[in-house]
Amino acid sequence: MTSLAPAVGPGSELRKLAAFVRRDFLIAWSYRLPFIGEWLGLVLQAFMFYFVGLMVDPAKLPAFGGDQVSYLEFVAVGIALAAFVALALGRVASGMQEEQLTGTLESLLMTPTSPTTIQIGSVLYDLIYIPLRTAVFLVVIAVAFGLDFDASGLLPASVVLLAFIPFVWGLGVASAGTTLTFRRGSGFVGLGSSILVLFSGAFFPLDLLPGWIEALASVNPITIAVDGMREPLLAGSGWDGVGRAVAVLVPLSAVSLTAGIVTFRWALRRERGRGTLGLY
Amino acid sequence: MVEARGVSRRFGARVALADVSLVVDEGEIVALLGPNGAGKTTLVRVLTGLVKPDDGSARVLGIDTWDCPRELRARMGLVPSGDRSLYLRISGLENLVFFGRLHGLSRREATARAWELLELVGLMEAARVRSGFYSHGMQKRLSIARAFLTEPSVLLIDEATHDLDPEAAAAMRELVRGLADRGAAVVWATQRIEEIRGFADRVTLLRTGEVAFSGSVSDLIAVAVPRRYVLRLRNGRAAGRELEPALRDAIGRRATIAAVEDGDAEHYLLHLAADAVLGDVLASLTAADVDVVACREERSEIESAYLNLAGGGE
Repeated sequence: MTSLAPAVGPGSELRKLAAFVRRDFLIAWSYRLPFIGEWLGLVLQAFMFYFVGLMVDPAKLPAFGGDQVSYLEFVAVGIALAAFVALALGRVASGMQEEQLTGTLESLLMTPTSPTTIQIGSVLYDLIYIPLRTAVFLVVIAVAFGLDFDASGLLPASVVLLAFIPFVWGLGVASAGTTLTFRRGSGFVGLGSSILVLFSGAFFPLDLLPGWIEALASVNPITIAVDGMREPLLAGSGWDGVGRAVAVLVPLSAVSLTAGIVTFRWALRRERGRGTLGLY
Repeated sequence: MVEARGVSRRFGARVALADVSLVVDEGEIVALLGPNGAGKTTLVRVLTGLVKPDDGSARVLGIDTWDCPRELRARMGLVPSGDRSLYLRISGLENLVFFGRLHGLSRREATARAWELLELVGLMEAARVRSGFYSHGMQKRLSIARAFLTEPSVLLIDEATHDLDPEAAAAMRELVRGLADRGAAVVWATQRIEEIRGFADRVTLLRTGEVAFSGSVSDLIAVAVPRRYVLRLRNGRAAGRELEPALRDAIGRRATIAAVEDGDAEHYLLHLAADAVLGDVLASLTAADVDVVACREERSEIESAYLNLAGGGE
């Protein structure tokens, strides 16, 4: 007998990603209240840091391009990036967990779709939406609070963010694999991301930390991303320094993403073998 | 097209499948029958490559299902036993379009195919309603529609009619029969034994993970050893419970007999002893001046066979 001849190949795998994005957009749209709440939370956080900033002596903050910046200008990139890390890491890690929890993972695996496509597809919507949200947030608070961001720094800062995305993605995929096996892994993800964000200089200058922690924090990928975005936005340094940040972030991202995919595929095969893929 | 050879699978100390074999040819519907926990779902999951057998092998279209390449999955359809296999926040139509696209159809093809299938399973009216608002039966019909997205060569169905009303269940069986007539091999796991007559070509009956029977439906019926009968008896002097003592005297230890609860005064339930023969019992009743107006098995012979083989017979 003849089937409807479904396409199988790399091209068709790419087309399937669009189906995942549409599915997740429709699902996100069906939760309108949390969607609005998320945005309101971000705005409230900006207000909070604005008032905290009124108490902070700008002289204690590092100068960018020889200019003193306000605390809100200093922390805005940190808030945006910290929210990006928390949200992206959480969503990537929980994407598979949700599929497992709702019982749709086995249905996905029964389609002629590669596990990598399923993994990428399950998070692609968030990986598009969250950076977009980060950029919109920065623009909105810059306008609302009159922050002095250098417009020419937007593109270089975006490039740093792009180089940083696979790093977070890889951690999330590894976490998804761990969750697939141990069922409960989101607590570790939250703890890990909180530690990385705390010691990244996102909310306060790193030189406030003890020397040895400062040294460790300076090689934290989030520190590199935060600094890499602040320089062009606050110091107007344009593309200077972006290359250095990207040169460090790209290999880190490659390692993180590879390790994540390997972990996830191993976990998927193990759970299939055990027959516990649909259990949560 | 579907072949399981000596498949065994344990989950911890529990044996889910023990040396189970199954063959389904092109155009054939094989019913996988058995009570809860018999191993039907595990076998279906082994055949789809979602569970690895500890021993033995499972092959579909000549390919080991554990490798389950995409080319094989493209030709398989699965209706899982639970409801939890759909995206409940999006509509039935969007569910089908999404899975159609994962099967490699373009958006336009997937949408057209989704509408066709929604009409086939009677969900046109609810097409744009969130599937989370569907009843269990509607979700099951949507799940069946999904399995038909690409006209599969092999269809594996786990408890398809569990939540369906008789009319919808018959419609689903007709759909599946049509697919088999077009050449597909179908494995139909069920515990609703009444639906296999006139539908399944062959039956494999599982009991605690082992094959208790494998053969045609008529062979299964031949295994039946009916022991319970409903008799319609008349006696000029007494009826109902008043007649029971006289009936017991007549049949002795060969059977027990009691008036049917809520029945009229002429109906009695006869339960034959293990070594008794129905004819002898009826002859005893006649000799005791009781007219045997009618006699029928309390269960269908297929149900009786099922209970005998599945270990639930009395």
